[in-house]
Amino acid sequence: MGSGSARAGLPEFVQPLPIGPYRSLNPTTKGVIAVSEALIAFAVRGWTGPLAVLAALVLTAAVARLGRSLLPFLIATVPLTASILLVNTFLFPGATDRIVSIGPFTPTWTGLTAAVQATLRVVAFAMSVAVLVLTTRPDELVADLERRGAPRGVTFVIGATVRTIPRVVQRAREITEAQRARGLDTEGRVWRRVRGILPLAAPLVFGSLNEVEEQTMALEARAFSARGHRTPLRLFPDGAGQRGLRWSVALGTALVIVLSIAGTLAFLP
Amino acid sequence: MTWLSRQFSTRVLVLIPVAIAINIVLGYTVQTVLKLPIYLDSIGTILVGVLAGPIAGAATGAASNIIWQYAPGIGGGTIGPFAITAAVIGLLAGLWGYLAVYRPRPASGARLWLAVAVGVAIILLLASRIYNNPAYTDPNIGGYPDWVFVAAIGIAVVASLAVASFILIRRDAAGAWVAAAGALTGIVAAIVSAPIAAYVFGGVTGSGTDLIVAALRQGGADVYNASLGQGLFSDPIDKTITSFVVFIILASLSDRVLARFPLGERIVRAGKAA
Repeated sequence: MGSGSARAGLPEFVQPLPIGPYRSLNPTTKGVIAVSEALIAFAVRGWTGPLAVLAALVLTAAVARLGRSLLPFLIATVPLTASILLVNTFLFPGATDRIVSIGPFTPTWTGLTAAVQATLRVVAFAMSVAVLVLTTRPDELVADLERRGAPRGVTFVIGATVRTIPRVVQRAREITEAQRARGLDTEGRVWRRVRGILPLAAPLVFGSLNEVEEQTMALEARAFSARGHRTPLRLFPDGAGQRGLRWSVALGTALVIVLSIAGTLAFLP
Repeated sequence: MTWLSRQFSTRVLVLIPVAIAINIVLGYTVQTVLKLPIYLDSIGTILVGVLAGPIAGAATGAASNIIWQYAPGIGGGTIGPFAITAAVIGLLAGLWGYLAVYRPRPASGARLWLAVAVGVAIILLLASRIYNNPAYTDPNIGGYPDWVFVAAIGIAVVASLAVASFILIRRDAAGAWVAAAGALTGIVAAIVSAPIAAYVFGGVTGSGTDLIVAALRQGGADVYNASLGQGLFSDPIDKTITSFVVFIILASLSDRVLARFPLGERIVRAGKAA
Protein backbone atom coordinates (compact mmCIF):
# COMPACT_ATOMS: atom_id res chain seq x y z
CA MET A 1 0.00 0.00 0.00
CA GLY A 2 0.91 3.64 -0.18
CA SER A 3 4.44 4.59 -1.10
CA GLY A 4 5.51 1.04 -1.68
CA SER A 5 8.55 1.51 0.58
CA ALA A 6 6.44 0.83 3.69
CA ARG A 7 7.48 -2.27 5.61
CA ALA A 8 4.66 -4.49 6.76
CA GLY A 9 4.37 -4.95 10.50
CA LEU A 10 6.21 -1.77 11.46
CA PRO A 11 4.25 0.97 13.25
CA GLU A 12 3.83 4.02 11.05
CA PHE A 13 6.02 6.23 13.23
CA VAL A 14 9.10 4.08 12.57
CA GLN A 15 8.44 3.55 8.85
CA PRO A 16 11.34 4.83 6.75
CA LEU A 17 10.67 8.12 4.99
CA PRO A 18 10.03 7.76 1.25
CA ILE A 19 13.01 8.35 -1.02
CA GLY A 20 13.27 9.60 -4.61
CA PRO A 21 12.79 13.05 -6.13
CA TYR A 22 8.96 12.90 -6.22
CA ARG A 23 8.17 10.43 -3.44
CA SER A 24 10.23 12.41 -0.91
CA LEU A 25 8.19 15.57 -1.45
CA ASN A 26 6.15 16.70 1.54
CA PRO A 27 2.80 14.80 1.61
CA THR A 28 0.81 18.05 1.52
CA THR A 29 2.76 19.19 -1.56
CA LYS A 30 1.83 15.95 -3.34
CA GLY A 31 -1.79 16.39 -2.23
CA VAL A 32 -1.94 19.95 -3.60
CA ILE A 33 -0.45 18.80 -6.91
CA ALA A 34 -2.97 15.93 -7.21
CA VAL A 35 -5.99 18.12 -6.46
CA SER A 36 -4.75 20.81 -8.89
CA GLU A 37 -4.31 18.22 -11.66
CA ALA A 38 -7.85 16.92 -11.09
CA LEU A 39 -9.32 20.43 -11.13
CA ILE A 40 -7.49 21.46 -14.32
CA ALA A 41 -8.45 18.22 -16.10
CA PHE A 42 -12.13 18.94 -15.51
CA ALA A 43 -12.25 22.74 -15.56
CA VAL A 44 -10.26 23.47 -18.71
CA ARG A 45 -12.46 22.12 -21.48
CA GLY A 46 -11.38 20.89 -24.89
CA TRP A 47 -8.12 19.02 -25.47
CA THR A 48 -5.71 21.32 -23.65
CA GLY A 49 -6.70 20.67 -20.01
CA PRO A 50 -6.69 16.87 -19.98
CA LEU A 51 -3.69 16.53 -22.31
CA ALA A 52 -1.57 19.00 -20.28
CA VAL A 53 -2.45 17.15 -17.07
CA LEU A 54 -1.74 13.76 -18.66
CA ALA A 55 1.67 15.00 -19.85
CA ALA A 56 2.48 16.21 -16.32
CA LEU A 57 1.31 12.89 -14.86
CA VAL A 58 3.38 10.80 -17.29
CA LEU A 59 6.43 12.81 -16.30
CA THR A 60 5.64 12.47 -12.59
CA ALA A 61 4.98 8.74 -12.89
CA ALA A 62 8.28 8.26 -14.69
CA VAL A 63 10.18 10.22 -12.04
CA ALA A 64 8.43 8.29 -9.25
CA ARG A 65 9.00 5.00 -11.14
CA LEU A 66 5.37 3.93 -10.85
CA GLY A 67 5.24 1.92 -14.08
CA ARG A 68 2.88 -1.04 -13.97
CA SER A 69 1.41 -0.12 -10.58
CA LEU A 70 -0.71 2.44 -12.47
CA LEU A 71 -2.43 -0.29 -14.48
CA PRO A 72 -5.15 -1.24 -11.94
CA PHE A 73 -6.20 2.40 -11.77
CA LEU A 74 -6.38 2.60 -15.56
CA ILE A 75 -8.34 -0.66 -15.76
CA ALA A 76 -10.81 0.68 -13.16
CA THR A 77 -11.80 3.44 -15.60
CA VAL A 78 -12.70 1.01 -18.40
CA PRO A 79 -16.45 0.60 -17.62
CA LEU A 80 -16.90 4.38 -17.47
CA THR A 81 -14.74 5.23 -20.47
CA ALA A 82 -16.38 2.49 -22.56
CA SER A 83 -19.80 3.88 -21.64
CA ILE A 84 -18.69 7.45 -22.42
CA LEU A 85 -17.31 6.42 -25.82
CA LEU A 86 -20.36 4.35 -26.82
CA VAL A 87 -23.11 6.68 -25.60
CA ASN A 88 -21.51 9.89 -26.90
CA THR A 89 -20.19 8.57 -30.22
CA PHE A 90 -23.46 6.87 -31.20
CA LEU A 91 -26.05 9.01 -29.43
CA PHE A 92 -24.82 12.58 -29.49
CA PRO A 93 -27.88 14.86 -29.67
CA GLY A 94 -28.02 17.14 -32.67
CA ALA A 95 -24.88 15.80 -34.35
CA THR A 96 -25.26 15.14 -38.08
CA ASP A 97 -21.66 14.66 -39.27
CA ARG A 98 -21.87 10.89 -39.45
CA ILE A 99 -18.70 8.82 -39.71
CA VAL A 100 -20.38 5.71 -41.10
CA SER A 101 -23.80 4.01 -40.98
CA ILE A 102 -23.94 0.61 -39.29
CA GLY A 103 -27.57 -0.48 -39.52
CA PRO A 104 -29.55 1.71 -37.10
CA PHE A 105 -26.34 3.11 -35.55
CA THR A 106 -24.74 6.30 -36.83
CA PRO A 107 -21.58 7.35 -35.04
CA THR A 108 -20.74 11.03 -35.53
CA TRP A 109 -17.49 12.98 -35.54
CA THR A 110 -18.94 15.52 -33.07
CA GLY A 111 -19.91 12.71 -30.72
CA LEU A 112 -16.55 10.99 -31.07
CA THR A 113 -14.68 14.23 -30.32
CA ALA A 114 -16.78 14.88 -27.20
CA ALA A 115 -16.36 11.24 -26.14
CA VAL A 116 -12.57 11.20 -26.50
CA GLN A 117 -12.24 14.51 -24.64
CA ALA A 118 -14.42 13.22 -21.78
CA THR A 119 -12.41 9.96 -21.74
CA LEU A 120 -9.12 11.87 -21.50
CA ARG A 121 -10.53 13.90 -18.60
CA VAL A 122 -11.53 10.73 -16.73
CA VAL A 123 -8.17 9.06 -17.37
CA ALA A 124 -6.28 12.20 -16.28
CA PHE A 125 -8.37 12.36 -13.09
CA ALA A 126 -7.84 8.66 -12.36
CA MET A 127 -4.10 8.99 -12.92
CA SER A 128 -3.88 12.00 -10.62
CA VAL A 129 -5.51 9.89 -7.91
CA ALA A 130 -3.20 6.96 -8.68
CA VAL A 131 0.01 8.99 -8.47
CA LEU A 132 -1.02 10.43 -5.10
CA VAL A 133 -2.15 7.08 -3.67
CA LEU A 134 0.96 5.25 -4.88
CA THR A 135 3.45 7.83 -3.61
CA THR A 136 1.87 8.98 -0.34
CA ARG A 137 0.69 6.92 2.62
CA PRO A 138 -2.53 8.26 4.18
CA ASP A 139 -1.01 8.36 7.67
CA GLU A 140 1.80 10.56 6.36
CA LEU A 141 -0.65 13.00 4.82
CA VAL A 142 -2.81 13.01 7.94
CA ALA A 143 0.21 13.55 10.24
CA ASP A 144 1.44 16.42 8.11
CA LEU A 145 -1.99 18.05 7.96
CA GLU A 146 -2.29 17.81 11.74
CA ARG A 147 1.13 19.43 12.15
CA ARG A 148 -0.15 22.29 10.00
CA GLY A 149 -3.08 22.84 12.35
CA ALA A 150 -5.88 20.90 10.66
CA PRO A 151 -8.70 20.21 13.17
CA ARG A 152 -8.14 17.02 15.13
CA GLY A 153 -11.61 15.76 14.21
CA VAL A 154 -10.80 16.00 10.49
CA THR A 155 -7.48 14.16 10.73
CA PHE A 156 -9.01 11.54 13.03
CA VAL A 157 -11.85 10.84 10.59
CA ILE A 158 -9.48 10.45 7.61
CA GLY A 159 -7.03 8.22 9.48
CA ALA A 160 -9.68 6.15 11.24
CA THR A 161 -11.63 5.61 8.00
CA VAL A 162 -8.58 4.28 6.16
CA ARG A 163 -7.92 1.88 9.07
CA THR A 164 -11.59 0.88 9.44
CA ILE A 165 -12.31 -0.02 5.81
CA PRO A 166 -10.14 -3.20 5.66
CA ARG A 167 -11.73 -4.40 8.93
CA VAL A 168 -15.25 -3.85 7.60
CA VAL A 169 -14.33 -5.53 4.28
CA GLN A 170 -13.11 -8.59 6.20
CA ARG A 171 -16.26 -8.59 8.35
CA ALA A 172 -18.49 -8.32 5.25
CA ARG A 173 -16.69 -11.33 3.78
CA GLU A 174 -17.23 -13.38 6.95
CA ILE A 175 -20.91 -12.38 7.15
CA THR A 176 -21.47 -13.29 3.50
CA GLU A 177 -19.92 -16.74 3.99
CA ALA A 178 -21.87 -17.31 7.21
CA GLN A 179 -25.19 -16.30 5.62
CA ARG A 180 -24.51 -18.43 2.56
CA ALA A 181 -23.90 -21.38 4.88
CA ARG A 182 -27.34 -20.61 6.40
CA GLY A 183 -29.01 -20.67 2.98
CA LEU A 184 -28.81 -17.05 1.76
CA ASP A 185 -30.13 -17.08 -1.81
CA THR A 186 -27.68 -15.22 -4.04
CA GLU A 187 -28.72 -16.71 -7.39
CA GLY A 188 -32.54 -16.90 -7.27
CA ARG A 189 -35.25 -14.49 -8.40
CA VAL A 190 -34.87 -10.75 -7.74
CA TRP A 191 -37.38 -10.78 -4.88
CA ARG A 192 -35.50 -13.55 -3.08
CA ARG A 193 -32.22 -11.68 -3.54
CA VAL A 194 -33.78 -8.42 -2.26
CA ARG A 195 -34.71 -10.34 0.89
CA GLY A 196 -31.00 -11.00 1.33
CA ILE A 197 -30.18 -7.30 1.85
CA LEU A 198 -31.06 -7.26 5.55
CA PRO A 199 -29.24 -10.50 6.51
CA LEU A 200 -26.12 -8.95 4.98
CA ALA A 201 -26.60 -5.35 6.09
CA ALA A 202 -27.84 -5.82 9.66
CA PRO A 203 -24.92 -7.85 11.12
CA LEU A 204 -22.41 -5.64 9.33
CA VAL A 205 -23.95 -2.43 10.64
CA PHE A 206 -24.66 -3.68 14.16
CA GLY A 207 -21.20 -5.20 14.50
CA SER A 208 -19.61 -1.93 13.35
CA LEU A 209 -21.83 0.19 15.61
CA ASN A 210 -20.85 -1.94 18.61
CA GLU A 211 -17.27 -0.76 18.13
CA VAL A 212 -18.34 2.88 18.30
CA GLU A 213 -19.09 2.72 22.02
CA GLU A 214 -15.81 0.99 22.88
CA GLN A 215 -13.73 3.36 20.76
CA THR A 216 -15.48 6.42 22.18
CA MET A 217 -14.58 5.41 25.72
CA ALA A 218 -11.03 4.51 24.70
CA LEU A 219 -10.53 7.89 23.02
CA GLU A 220 -12.04 9.85 25.89
CA ALA A 221 -9.80 7.96 28.33
CA ARG A 222 -6.85 9.22 26.25
CA ALA A 223 -7.97 12.88 26.38
CA PHE A 224 -9.12 13.02 22.77
CA SER A 225 -11.31 16.05 23.46
CA ALA A 226 -8.59 17.90 25.37
CA ARG A 227 -7.58 21.26 23.94
CA GLY A 228 -4.00 22.06 23.08
CA HIS A 229 -1.48 21.25 20.40
CA ARG A 230 -0.22 17.71 19.98
CA THR A 231 3.49 17.18 19.40
CA PRO A 232 3.98 15.38 16.09
CA LEU A 233 6.05 12.19 16.25
CA ARG A 234 7.18 12.35 12.63
CA LEU A 235 8.26 15.37 10.67
CA PHE A 236 8.32 15.40 6.89
CA PRO A 237 10.76 17.42 4.80
CA ASP A 238 9.48 20.86 3.98
CA GLY A 239 11.18 24.10 3.06
CA ALA A 240 10.87 27.39 1.23
CA GLY A 241 11.17 25.64 -2.13
CA GLN A 242 8.24 23.33 -1.44
CA ARG A 243 6.16 26.12 0.07
CA GLY A 244 6.77 28.13 -3.08
CA LEU A 245 5.85 25.14 -5.24
CA ARG A 246 2.59 24.60 -3.33
CA TRP A 247 1.53 28.23 -3.57
CA SER A 248 2.52 28.45 -7.24
CA VAL A 249 0.55 25.33 -8.11
CA ALA A 250 -2.51 26.39 -6.09
CA LEU A 251 -2.57 29.99 -7.37
CA GLY A 252 -1.73 28.90 -10.92
CA THR A 253 -4.61 26.42 -10.88
CA ALA A 254 -7.03 29.05 -9.55
CA LEU A 255 -5.90 31.50 -12.26
CA VAL A 256 -6.25 28.93 -15.05
CA ILE A 257 -9.76 27.97 -13.87
CA VAL A 258 -10.87 31.61 -13.63
CA LEU A 259 -9.49 32.35 -17.12
CA SER A 260 -11.15 29.22 -18.46
CA ILE A 261 -14.53 30.15 -17.00
CA ALA A 262 -14.15 33.75 -18.28
CA GLY A 263 -13.54 32.39 -21.78
CA THR A 264 -10.05 33.90 -22.06
CA LEU A 265 -8.61 30.46 -22.88
CA ALA A 266 -11.07 29.88 -25.71
CA PHE A 267 -8.23 30.18 -28.26
CA LEU A 268 -6.77 26.89 -26.95
CA PRO A 269 -7.84 23.74 -28.79
CA MET B 1 -21.61 27.06 18.00
CA THR B 2 -22.98 24.66 20.62
CA TRP B 3 -25.44 23.42 18.00
CA LEU B 4 -22.52 22.70 15.67
CA SER B 5 -20.10 21.26 18.22
CA ARG B 6 -22.82 18.92 19.54
CA GLN B 7 -22.95 17.38 16.07
CA PHE B 8 -19.25 16.54 16.29
CA SER B 9 -18.96 14.99 19.74
CA THR B 10 -16.36 12.25 20.22
CA ARG B 11 -19.08 9.60 19.77
CA VAL B 12 -20.14 11.12 16.44
CA LEU B 13 -16.51 11.47 15.31
CA VAL B 14 -16.05 7.75 15.99
CA LEU B 15 -19.30 6.95 14.20
CA ILE B 16 -18.33 8.85 11.02
CA PRO B 17 -15.44 6.54 9.93
CA VAL B 18 -17.63 3.51 10.64
CA ALA B 19 -20.44 5.06 8.59
CA ILE B 20 -18.08 5.83 5.71
CA ALA B 21 -16.79 2.25 5.75
CA ILE B 22 -20.40 0.99 5.70
CA ASN B 23 -21.14 3.27 2.71
CA ILE B 24 -18.20 1.86 0.80
CA VAL B 25 -18.39 -1.81 1.75
CA LEU B 26 -22.10 -2.52 2.02
CA GLY B 27 -23.10 -1.24 -1.42
CA TYR B 28 -20.26 -3.19 -3.02
CA THR B 29 -21.18 -6.35 -1.11
CA VAL B 30 -24.87 -6.15 -2.07
CA GLN B 31 -24.00 -5.52 -5.73
CA THR B 32 -21.49 -8.37 -5.98
CA VAL B 33 -23.07 -10.99 -3.70
CA LEU B 34 -26.77 -10.42 -4.42
CA LYS B 35 -26.19 -9.03 -7.93
CA LEU B 36 -28.79 -6.30 -7.40
CA PRO B 37 -28.55 -3.08 -9.44
CA ILE B 38 -28.83 -0.74 -6.45
CA TYR B 39 -26.15 1.53 -5.00
CA LEU B 40 -26.95 1.42 -1.25
CA ASP B 41 -23.94 3.68 -0.81
CA SER B 42 -25.51 6.19 1.54
CA ILE B 43 -26.73 4.07 4.46
CA GLY B 44 -23.89 5.35 6.67
CA THR B 45 -24.41 8.96 5.58
CA ILE B 46 -28.13 8.87 6.38
CA LEU B 47 -27.42 7.10 9.66
CA VAL B 48 -25.05 9.87 10.79
CA GLY B 49 -27.39 12.63 9.56
CA VAL B 50 -30.36 11.17 11.41
CA LEU B 51 -28.39 10.49 14.61
CA ALA B 52 -26.17 13.58 14.72
CA GLY B 53 -27.60 16.37 12.56
CA PRO B 54 -27.38 17.93 9.10
CA ILE B 55 -23.82 19.27 9.21
CA ALA B 56 -22.42 15.97 10.51
CA GLY B 57 -24.43 14.16 7.83
CA ALA B 58 -23.17 16.47 5.09
CA ALA B 59 -19.58 16.12 6.29
CA THR B 60 -19.92 12.33 6.33
CA GLY B 61 -21.33 12.26 2.81
CA ALA B 62 -18.64 14.51 1.35
CA ALA B 63 -15.80 12.78 3.23
CA SER B 64 -17.15 9.40 2.19
CA ASN B 65 -16.85 10.13 -1.52
CA ILE B 66 -13.51 11.91 -1.27
CA ILE B 67 -11.91 9.18 0.86
CA TRP B 68 -13.48 6.49 -1.38
CA GLN B 69 -11.84 8.19 -4.35
CA TYR B 70 -8.42 8.51 -2.77
CA ALA B 71 -8.16 5.58 -0.31
CA PRO B 72 -5.41 3.06 -1.12
CA GLY B 73 -6.69 -0.28 -2.36
CA ILE B 74 -10.22 0.91 -3.10
CA GLY B 75 -9.47 4.31 -4.67
CA GLY B 76 -10.21 5.28 -8.24
CA GLY B 77 -13.51 5.18 -10.05
CA THR B 78 -15.74 8.20 -10.44
CA ILE B 79 -17.22 8.68 -7.01
CA GLY B 80 -15.21 11.79 -5.98
CA PRO B 81 -17.03 14.48 -7.99
CA PHE B 82 -20.36 13.27 -6.54
CA ALA B 83 -19.22 14.37 -3.05
CA ILE B 84 -21.60 17.34 -3.40
CA THR B 85 -24.56 14.99 -3.92
CA ALA B 86 -23.51 12.88 -0.94
CA ALA B 87 -23.25 16.02 1.20
CA VAL B 88 -26.77 17.08 0.22
CA ILE B 89 -28.07 13.58 1.09
CA GLY B 90 -26.45 13.89 4.54
CA LEU B 91 -27.88 17.39 4.97
CA LEU B 92 -31.38 16.15 4.18
CA ALA B 93 -30.93 13.16 6.51
CA GLY B 94 -30.15 15.62 9.31
CA LEU B 95 -33.36 17.46 8.50
CA TRP B 96 -35.31 14.19 8.65
CA GLY B 97 -33.61 13.52 11.98
CA TYR B 98 -34.78 16.86 13.39
CA LEU B 99 -38.30 16.17 12.10
CA ALA B 100 -38.24 12.77 13.86
CA VAL B 101 -39.13 11.01 10.60
CA TYR B 102 -37.39 7.80 11.70
CA ARG B 103 -39.18 7.52 15.06
CA PRO B 104 -41.32 4.36 15.23
CA ARG B 105 -45.03 5.22 15.29
CA PRO B 106 -46.97 2.13 16.37
CA ALA B 107 -50.51 2.41 14.99
CA SER B 108 -53.65 0.39 14.46
CA GLY B 109 -57.06 0.74 12.84
CA ALA B 110 -57.80 3.85 10.78
CA ARG B 111 -54.43 5.48 11.57
CA LEU B 112 -52.59 2.47 10.19
CA TRP B 113 -54.66 2.43 6.99
CA LEU B 114 -54.21 6.18 6.60
CA ALA B 115 -50.44 5.64 6.71
CA VAL B 116 -50.76 2.91 4.07
CA ALA B 117 -52.76 5.28 1.86
CA VAL B 118 -50.18 8.08 2.29
CA GLY B 119 -47.27 5.73 1.53
CA VAL B 120 -48.90 4.30 -1.59
CA ALA B 121 -49.99 7.78 -2.74
CA ILE B 122 -46.39 9.04 -2.53
CA ILE B 123 -45.11 6.14 -4.65
CA LEU B 124 -47.87 6.55 -7.25
CA LEU B 125 -47.35 10.31 -7.37
CA LEU B 126 -43.67 9.77 -8.17
CA ALA B 127 -44.52 7.20 -10.83
CA SER B 128 -47.07 9.54 -12.39
CA ARG B 129 -44.41 12.25 -12.64
CA ILE B 130 -42.33 9.87 -14.75
CA TYR B 131 -45.36 8.78 -16.78
CA ASN B 132 -46.71 12.25 -17.51
CA ASN B 133 -43.66 14.51 -17.45
CA PRO B 134 -42.98 16.09 -20.87
CA ALA B 135 -39.25 15.53 -20.30
CA TYR B 136 -39.93 11.83 -20.72
CA THR B 137 -42.76 11.86 -23.23
CA ASP B 138 -42.13 14.78 -25.60
CA PRO B 139 -39.87 13.62 -28.45
CA ASN B 140 -38.72 17.22 -28.90
CA ILE B 141 -37.21 17.26 -25.41
CA GLY B 142 -36.32 13.64 -24.78
CA GLY B 143 -38.72 10.76 -24.60
CA TYR B 144 -38.31 7.26 -23.25
CA PRO B 145 -39.00 4.20 -25.38
CA ASP B 146 -42.22 2.38 -24.42
CA TRP B 147 -40.53 -0.29 -22.31
CA VAL B 148 -39.43 2.33 -19.79
CA PHE B 149 -43.07 3.23 -19.05
CA VAL B 150 -44.00 -0.40 -18.58
CA ALA B 151 -41.02 -0.78 -16.24
CA ALA B 152 -42.05 2.40 -14.33
CA ILE B 153 -45.58 1.06 -13.78
CA GLY B 154 -44.23 -2.34 -12.72
CA ILE B 155 -41.77 -0.79 -10.27
CA ALA B 156 -44.46 1.56 -8.88
CA VAL B 157 -46.86 -1.34 -8.23
CA VAL B 158 -44.16 -3.45 -6.55
CA ALA B 159 -42.95 -0.48 -4.48
CA SER B 160 -46.52 0.38 -3.40
CA LEU B 161 -47.13 -3.20 -2.30
CA ALA B 162 -43.79 -3.27 -0.46
CA VAL B 163 -44.48 -0.02 1.41
CA ALA B 164 -48.05 -1.08 2.29
CA SER B 165 -46.85 -4.49 3.49
CA PHE B 166 -44.08 -2.89 5.54
CA ILE B 167 -46.53 -0.59 7.33
CA LEU B 168 -49.14 -3.31 7.89
CA ILE B 169 -46.78 -6.10 8.97
CA ARG B 170 -44.79 -3.91 11.37
CA ARG B 171 -47.98 -2.04 12.36
CA ASP B 172 -45.90 1.14 12.17
CA ALA B 173 -47.20 4.33 10.55
CA ALA B 174 -43.62 5.63 10.30
CA GLY B 175 -43.29 3.63 7.07
CA ALA B 176 -45.18 6.37 5.18
CA TRP B 177 -42.81 9.09 6.41
CA VAL B 178 -39.76 6.91 5.75
CA ALA B 179 -40.94 6.33 2.16
CA ALA B 180 -41.56 10.06 1.68
CA ALA B 181 -38.14 10.99 3.12
CA GLY B 182 -36.37 8.43 0.92
CA ALA B 183 -38.20 9.46 -2.23
CA LEU B 184 -37.62 13.19 -1.63
CA THR B 185 -33.94 12.53 -0.91
CA GLY B 186 -33.73 10.59 -4.18
CA ILE B 187 -35.32 13.39 -6.19
CA VAL B 188 -32.97 16.02 -4.72
CA ALA B 189 -29.98 13.69 -5.23
CA ALA B 190 -30.95 13.27 -8.90
CA ILE B 191 -31.27 17.03 -9.42
CA VAL B 192 -27.86 17.67 -7.80
CA SER B 193 -26.15 14.74 -9.59
CA ALA B 194 -27.34 15.53 -13.12
CA PRO B 195 -25.10 18.55 -13.84
CA ILE B 196 -22.11 16.75 -12.29
CA ALA B 197 -22.60 13.65 -14.43
CA ALA B 198 -23.28 15.76 -17.51
CA TYR B 199 -20.39 18.17 -17.12
CA VAL B 200 -17.73 15.87 -15.68
CA PHE B 201 -18.45 12.50 -17.27
CA GLY B 202 -20.40 13.30 -20.43
CA GLY B 203 -23.66 12.17 -18.83
CA VAL B 204 -22.79 8.59 -17.91
CA THR B 205 -21.37 6.91 -14.82
CA GLY B 206 -20.20 3.51 -16.07
CA SER B 207 -22.98 1.65 -14.24
CA GLY B 208 -26.07 -0.22 -15.45
CA THR B 209 -28.17 2.93 -15.26
CA ASP B 210 -26.30 4.19 -18.33
CA LEU B 211 -28.82 2.14 -20.33
CA ILE B 212 -31.51 4.63 -19.29
CA VAL B 213 -29.22 7.51 -20.30
CA ALA B 214 -28.68 5.85 -23.69
CA ALA B 215 -32.45 5.36 -24.10
CA LEU B 216 -33.09 9.05 -23.43
CA ARG B 217 -30.25 10.18 -25.68
CA GLN B 218 -31.69 8.01 -28.44
CA GLY B 219 -34.95 9.88 -27.94
CA GLY B 220 -33.12 13.15 -28.54
CA ALA B 221 -32.51 14.41 -25.00
CA ASP B 222 -29.40 16.53 -24.45
CA VAL B 223 -26.66 15.40 -22.06
CA TYR B 224 -28.11 17.21 -19.02
CA ASN B 225 -31.73 16.12 -19.51
CA ALA B 226 -30.67 12.52 -20.16
CA SER B 227 -28.67 12.48 -16.89
CA LEU B 228 -31.55 14.10 -15.01
CA GLY B 229 -34.06 11.65 -16.48
CA GLN B 230 -31.91 8.70 -15.44
CA GLY B 231 -31.42 10.11 -11.95
CA LEU B 232 -35.12 10.82 -11.41
CA PHE B 233 -35.84 7.24 -12.43
CA SER B 234 -33.27 5.36 -10.34
CA ASP B 235 -32.35 7.59 -7.38
CA PRO B 236 -35.79 7.70 -5.68
CA ILE B 237 -35.93 3.88 -5.82
CA ASP B 238 -32.43 3.50 -4.38
CA LYS B 239 -32.85 6.12 -1.67
CA THR B 240 -36.27 4.80 -0.64
CA ILE B 241 -34.80 1.31 -0.15
CA THR B 242 -31.86 2.88 1.74
CA SER B 243 -34.28 4.88 3.87
CA PHE B 244 -36.14 1.71 4.91
CA VAL B 245 -32.89 -0.14 5.66
CA VAL B 246 -31.80 2.74 7.92
CA PHE B 247 -35.20 2.77 9.64
CA ILE B 248 -34.99 -0.97 10.34
CA ILE B 249 -31.45 -0.60 11.68
CA LEU B 250 -32.47 2.28 13.97
CA ALA B 251 -35.57 0.43 15.14
CA SER B 252 -33.39 -2.54 16.04
CA LEU B 253 -30.94 -0.53 18.15
CA SER B 254 -31.65 -0.15 21.82
CA ASP B 255 -32.98 3.19 23.05
CA ARG B 256 -29.99 3.36 25.41
CA VAL B 257 -27.59 3.41 22.45
CA LEU B 258 -29.70 5.80 20.38
CA ALA B 259 -30.20 8.31 23.18
CA ARG B 260 -26.44 8.89 23.44
CA PHE B 261 -26.35 10.59 20.03
CA PRO B 262 -27.27 14.28 19.60
CA LEU B 263 -30.62 13.55 17.89
CA GLY B 264 -31.20 10.23 19.60
CA GLU B 265 -34.14 11.49 21.62
CA ARG B 266 -35.98 12.22 18.36
CA ILE B 267 -35.68 8.57 17.29
CA VAL B 268 -36.59 6.65 20.41
CA ARG B 269 -40.23 5.76 20.74
CA ALA B 270 -42.50 8.52 22.07
CA GLY B 271 -42.66 8.46 25.86
CA LYS B 272 -39.39 6.51 26.16
CA ALA B 273 -36.94 9.37 25.60
CA ALA B 274 -34.15 9.53 28.16
